[in-house]
Amino acid sequence: MEGKSTLKILGIVLSAVALLVFVGYLAVYAVYALALFRWPYDYDQGEGFELYDAVLYSRGEWPYRDNAVFPFYASNYPPLFHLLIVPLLPLLGPRLIAGRLVSFAATLVTGGAIAAIVRREARTWLVPALAGMAYLSSNIVYQIGPLCRLHPTMVMFETLAVACIAGFQDPRHGRRNLLLGLFFLLCAGYTKQLAVFTVAAALGFVFLRDVRRALAAGASLAIVAGGLFLLIDRLTAGQWMVNIIHANVNEFDYLWTLAFLRQWLQLHPVLISLAAGLLVYELFWGRLSVYALWFVFAVGMGLLSGKWGAGPGYFMTAIAAACVMAGRALVLLEAALPRRWPRLAGAVGLLTPLLFLLQATFTLHMPTAGPVFGSLARLLGVDDRLIQGDCTTFAYTDSSGYTQLGHLLSPADYEAGERIMAYVRAADGPVFSEEAAFSLLAGRPVVTNPTQLLNLYKNGLLDTGEIIRRVEAEEFDVVIFRAQFYPPPVLQAIGQHYRPVEHICMNGFYYHILLPHRWDVAQP
Amino acid sequence: MITKRQLGIALALASLAMVIGVVAADWVGAGEWGGFGPLQWLGLGAAAVLLLVSVGLILRGNRPA
Repeated sequence: MEGKSTLKILGIVLSAVALLVFVGYLAVYAVYALALFRWPYDYDQGEGFELYDAVLYSRGEWPYRDNAVFPFYASNYPPLFHLLIVPLLPLLGPRLIAGRLVSFAATLVTGGAIAAIVRREARTWLVPALAGMAYLSSNIVYQIGPLCRLHPTMVMFETLAVACIAGFQDPRHGRRNLLLGLFFLLCAGYTKQLAVFTVAAALGFVFLRDVRRALAAGASLAIVAGGLFLLIDRLTAGQWMVNIIHANVNEFDYLWTLAFLRQWLQLHPVLISLAAGLLVYELFWGRLSVYALWFVFAVGMGLLSGKWGAGPGYFMTAIAAACVMAGRALVLLEAALPRRWPRLAGAVGLLTPLLFLLQATFTLHMPTAGPVFGSLARLLGVDDRLIQGDCTTFAYTDSSGYTQLGHLLSPADYEAGERIMAYVRAADGPVFSEEAAFSLLAGRPVVTNPTQLLNLYKNGLLDTGEIIRRVEAEEFDVVIFRAQFYPPPVLQAIGQHYRPVEHICMNGFYYHILLPHRWDVAQP
Repeated sequence: MITKRQLGIALALASLAMVIGVVAADWVGAGEWGGFGPLQWLGLGAAAVLLLVSVGLILRGNRPA
């Protein structure tokens, strides 16, 4: 009797500690997000272009344009995330915080949806709360969550979709649930094309249980999604198809996929083991749930991470699905173990907090300097850990190893940003910048989307004649490079007509400032 | 409603299609390697796992998938 009460107290204490640890991860996430909300420039290359898409929509313009024509800009993503940013633009202006707020909120909704899904099967809130917070504690979610990138919003719609589809056979609300699920699938697909994996999982689940409804639902979704596709393609004179589909056909390196797969496994071993265990159980002994199918298809999505321009973010859906499955597996184990082994009933309460605490040790990420984080880092023995950027080091540790994301910004980064902005403001004509935020902040037109141009060039779909002519005419007053992801002929033309004047270290990267040769003549 | 046996048969067919696809990659000259490349071995491994799963499911009979 005494032993049982001791175990119960131990279970309560461990549960409190587990909750505290995950609330701690949530606090680290909030600090990082707040730091990014203040940062006016691109933190991750490409953020500014997503914001610019929203700016174009707010003006009633499509971002699917002819890349061969000035300003050589087009988007390669569907519109929904950018449309969600539009209502924030009158309040916040064309600043990255608008998109970062949407993205950050999407991760919180996803965490909440994961908790709500697990809660349907759980008796208490402990497992649901830990499963939801485990999603937000993942290094990959932490790194990408508060960026002005559309991926976290896609994962949110996917999670809401499977949560609805799961109840499509509900006697009272089945029809409503199915329709809502299909609506969220449509939203996910029109946020990012990758959601097609979740569409397959959700419709596959309906097919397993009700073939007729699956065919009807699939046909309805195909008609609506396809109709929208054709409509946008018509309205953009075919540029939608070129920029959304053809420009996304990139090289694939399976070694990158294996590296990202390994990283995903190493960061979430407890969640993945529980999810895989429940998958096997449902496959052979129970009935396959929509979450199990989602987990399988989401891992399939992650295997595309070796595509050029992709990355570990492609595993975000798999992380969400693993959190749902792990939570459900623990709920099942908590109910089944005492029935099978009554003598273990007292110890079952320890299972959930112990497993989540174990999982928490694999995802350690935090700043290692500052009054609070410095002390905490010393306590955890990680105060000497640094992340090495191209031109500086960050007081930040991340169990995923080297990462360009996750660290906080320093006053030197802000000064460097101002230094670059001085060049942009001084320019009379258009600015040829590899990142859009500089131009947006200065009220200048955004010229070029480098990766889009590069992708189209590699696929033989870009005529670089006009862009090279303008570079050779030195029409751009300043060129700002970071990664130099432009088609080689464009880089060669710039190399011949522009000269580097300064290399500015900002956010761990060198930004190369180039001015036209005509300035040499004007100012010998 | 689909049974575990039906799902198993579908997965077995998918496994077979994967094997044919992996071998056909050489016939049509796709890929970067001469002979059997590492991706093909990975594909064969995945097909073998899928086949094992499908056999297990077929043995589970007419229970709902």
